[in-house]
Amino acid sequence: MSYLVFSPLLLRCLLVTLWFMVVSLPVQAAKVALDATHWGIKAGEGCVSCHQTASSGLHQQWQQSAHAKAGVNCLDCHQAKAADSDAFTHEGEVIATLVTPQDCGRCHAEEYAENSGSIHSQSRLLLLNRTGASEAELDAAGCSVCHGSRVTLKIDGTLATGWPNSGVGRLNPDGSRGACSACHGRHQFSRAEARDPQSCRRCHQGSESPDHEAYQSSRHGILFAAHRSEMNLQNDSWVVGKDYSATATCVTCHMGAAPGINATHDVGMRDIWNLGGVVSEQQSLVIFENGETRDLPLSQPAVRKGDTLARNSGESGVVKAVAAPARRRAAMSKVCLECHGKSFATAFFTQFDAQIERYNLEFAIPAQALMQQLYDDARLTPTPFDEPLELSWWRLWHDLGISYRHGAAMASPSMSSSEGWQKLQQHFYGDFLPQLQQLLGVEPSRQLLKQYWGDRYPAWLTDAAAAAPLMGYESLRPAAIAPVASDAPQITPSPSAGAVGTP
Amino acid sequence: MATIGIARYITVRTTVAVTVGGLFGSLFILFLQVFDHYTSTESFCTTCHSMELVAVPYRESSHYRPASGVRAECGDCHVSQGLFAATWDHFVGSRDLYKQLFGANYDDPVINALHLPEAAFAAREWFAERQSATCYRCHTLEAIYGERPATREIHLTQSAGKSCIDCHINLVHRPVPDKKVFKREAWNRMIEEEFALPAGSAEVLLTQ
Repeated sequence: MSYLVFSPLLLRCLLVTLWFMVVSLPVQAAKVALDATHWGIKAGEGCVSCHQTASSGLHQQWQQSAHAKAGVNCLDCHQAKAADSDAFTHEGEVIATLVTPQDCGRCHAEEYAENSGSIHSQSRLLLLNRTGASEAELDAAGCSVCHGSRVTLKIDGTLATGWPNSGVGRLNPDGSRGACSACHGRHQFSRAEARDPQSCRRCHQGSESPDHEAYQSSRHGILFAAHRSEMNLQNDSWVVGKDYSATATCVTCHMGAAPGINATHDVGMRDIWNLGGVVSEQQSLVIFENGETRDLPLSQPAVRKGDTLARNSGESGVVKAVAAPARRRAAMSKVCLECHGKSFATAFFTQFDAQIERYNLEFAIPAQALMQQLYDDARLTPTPFDEPLELSWWRLWHDLGISYRHGAAMASPSMSSSEGWQKLQQHFYGDFLPQLQQLLGVEPSRQLLKQYWGDRYPAWLTDAAAAAPLMGYESLRPAAIAPVASDAPQITPSPSAGAVGTP
Repeated sequence: MATIGIARYITVRTTVAVTVGGLFGSLFILFLQVFDHYTSTESFCTTCHSMELVAVPYRESSHYRPASGVRAECGDCHVSQGLFAATWDHFVGSRDLYKQLFGANYDDPVINALHLPEAAFAAREWFAERQSATCYRCHTLEAIYGERPATREIHLTQSAGKSCIDCHINLVHRPVPDKKVFKREAWNRMIEEEFALPAGSAEVLLTQ
C-alpha cells in the first residue's frame, strides 16, 4: 500500500489530475471579500430622506442597483476622511467630492487592482508621455473625454480642473487612476450595462478606434443584436459556455471568464498586437512590481524579472513578470474554445495575423521608409500637415489602416475590406501617389516606390498588361456588373491579366 | 397721618435731574439706534481696507444683488436684532477695530487671505450659537419656494432641529472649507500660488 501512495508516477498523475480539475473549474468574476458588516453605515441612511426628493432620478437609479439590494448606502461610497484632499462637509458628514476607483476598491479590491494596472487606467499618462502634449493641450483637443482628465481641487473646495469627467485614465486627487463609471454608469453601476458592447462604444468608435463598427458588422455583433435577451447580461456569474452562449461581446474576449480563465479588469491583457501605430507589432505584457502593466514590442530588447524598464508614465519600474505574446494569445483563445473547435480558433488567429503582416509588408513598412526618406531629403518640412502629402499619409495609416486592422481583428469584412483595404488602395493611388509625383516628378516617384516596395512593387503602374482587366477596360463592359447573355458582344481579355497590384 | 412721603423727593433739583437725565437717556437711545444702524452699513464697514477685501466677493453674491432687490447690508447678517443685542455686538466687535489698529496688517491682501479661514470659522460659530437668527430677518422657512418643488419640500420636511448655517455656508464671502476638513497647509500653499509667493512664505507671514 505504502508503495502505491509514494509512487512518483502516481503522485505525478494525481497532481496533473488535480491541476486539470482546478483549471477547468468555471471561474467567476471576483466576489467582494468583505462581509456585510463593512457597509450600511447608519448615518448614510439619513442621506436618502433628502436625496429622494432633491435628486429623485439618482435615488431611483441607486434603488434599482445591486448596491441598494445589498444594503450599500450613499455614505458607504461617498464617505471621506477629514484628512483627504477632496473632503468636504455636508449635513455634518465628511464627504468625498469625488468617488474614485480607490473608494470603490474598499469593497471591490480585486477589480481595483486589476484596473489600476491596466492600459485603461494609464491611458492619459501614456498619451502625455507619448505625445509630449501638455495637460492643457490634451484637454483642449478633446482627448480627456476618453483618456481621462487630471482632476485637481483647491482647498477652498472648488474643483480647479478636469471635472466632470469619466474617462478611463482619469488622474484623481487621491492618486488613483481611472473611473469605474466609465463603463458602470452612475448610480446603478450595472454589470449588464458594462457587458453590453454599447458601453465600449463611447470611446471605441470612429477613426481612432473603430471597434464598434467592426464588432457590429461582425458575426458576433450580428448575433448579439439578434439574441441580446439570451445573453443573461444581468447574471451575477457570467462565464461563457455556462451562463450564456449566444455570442461573444467585447467583454467576453477581452475581459470575460471562461472555464479555465478568470475574468479580469485588466482590459488589454489579452491583446498581442498593437493595432494603432503606423506599423503593427506583437507585444509582450510586462507586469511591474507596483502592479502596473505595459506593452513591450518584440522589436525592443527583451526584459526579465528584476530588470528596470520605463513604465507607461515614463518613470522607471522594476519588472515583476513578462507574458510573451503567445501566452496572451493562449488566454484569449481559451474563450473561443467554448463555442469553436480548436482548429477553427487557431485558423482564425492565423488569418488575422496574416492580414496584419500583409498590411505591414505591403503598405506600412515601405511607406514609412519612403516618408522618412522625404523628410531626410528635405522634400517635406518637419512641420506636420503643411503639405497635402502629410495629410494623405495620416489618412492612410491612421484612418484607413486602423479600420483595416481592427476589422481584421474582429472578422468584420465591411471594416477590413470596404472601409479598410479598399479605401487604403483608393487613397494610395488616388491621393498619395499623385501628390508624391507632383512633389518629385513621375519617374523619381516610381523609382522610390520600386526601391521601397521591391518585388511587391505594383507592376501594373508601368505595365498595363499586368493590371486586372476589371481595373481598366473591362469595367466598361456590362459583364463587369451583371452576367450578360451569351450573344452579347465580347471583348477579348488581355492574356497577361495579373492580380490586382498592391497596396 | 401717614403720608406717602414721595412728595418729599419731588424737589426742583430732582425734577430737573430726572428731566435732563430722561432727555439725555432718550437721546442716547436714539443715538444708539442711529449708531447701530450706521455702523452696520457696508459704507461704514468698508472704511477699513481689510473689510473692503472681504466685501469684494460679497458684491458678487446673491445677498448683494438679489433678484428681489432686497440687499442685505453687513449688519443685517452679522449684527443681532434689538438695540441692546446690537449694541453689545458692536461692543464685542470693537476688538476687530483693536486688531485692525494694533494687530497684523489685514489691509494686505495676502495677510487678509491667510487669516480669512479663522474669521470664517468664528462667524460660523456666531451664526450657529444664535440658530441663524439674523437670516430669519429676511428669510421665512415657509416662504422658501426655490426653483424646483423639491426645494420647498426639503425645507419643510428636513429642517427640524437645524438652522440655516448647518447647510448653507460659503454663500457670500470667499469659500472656506468647514473647520472639520480644513487643511491649513493646503490653504497656505493655495494663497502662495495665488500671489506668486515662494513656498513657505505663508507660515512666515502668519507669525508676523
